[in-house]
Amino acid sequence: MPDLRELYQEVILEHSKAPRNYRELATANHRAEGYNPLCGDHFTVYLDLEGDSIRDISFQGSGCAISKASASLMTQSVKGKTRAEADRVFDQFHKLVTGQSPANGNRAELGKLAVFSGVSEFPVRVKCATLAWHTLHAALQGKQQTVSTE
Amino acid sequence: MLSFLLDSIHPHDIGTILDQEGIAIRTGHHCAQPVMQRFGIAATARASFALYNTREEVDALVEGIQKVREVFA
Repeated sequence: MPDLRELYQEVILEHSKAPRNYRELATANHRAEGYNPLCGDHFTVYLDLEGDSIRDISFQGSGCAISKASASLMTQSVKGKTRAEADRVFDQFHKLVTGQSPANGNRAELGKLAVFSGVSEFPVRVKCATLAWHTLHAALQGKQQTVSTE
Repeated sequence: MLSFLLDSIHPHDIGTILDQEGIAIRTGHHCAQPVMQRFGIAATARASFALYNTREEVDALVEGIQKVREVFA
């Protein structure tokens, strides 16, 4: 049986209680909304893009501990990165939470995001962990439509 | 049928932890978004009891809820 402590690691619990970069971004020039109608998770991701770089990023909204912590850690992880770098981190993160990332593989790029490895044991929670990332991806692409991971 | 909230713990987190304890509840909107809006909440946890449920299973639910509180303490 998968271990709950692997899912609800301290870093995740702490970020869900005190999310970082949790505000509307006054300087935002890109934004996107992510919504899971079946569970009610709802986030807005704000981006201040300078050329190809993410100068600043923030988010607001409501969701479970996994989705909120994921959004919080995502903002810390991609700030200062280029679009391509951010998309690459998303790709690696997606592989991690869907169990496609070998445990002994190179997870160095993920940094703190590695705490989400336990999500792969809980398939129904993958959509929680990736909602903010899909929303970021849409914001980077300048898409207007609300994103959903249902 | 009991719909409930537990402190500020999101119902999906409650559901996952109870599931690990072998207790199945429903969590989320329950296809009733207008009610959620009316009460200004994102989702609820919901336990349903039927004729076949035993007293022990109700006690297990109570213990499971204590466990949820411990994880999020």
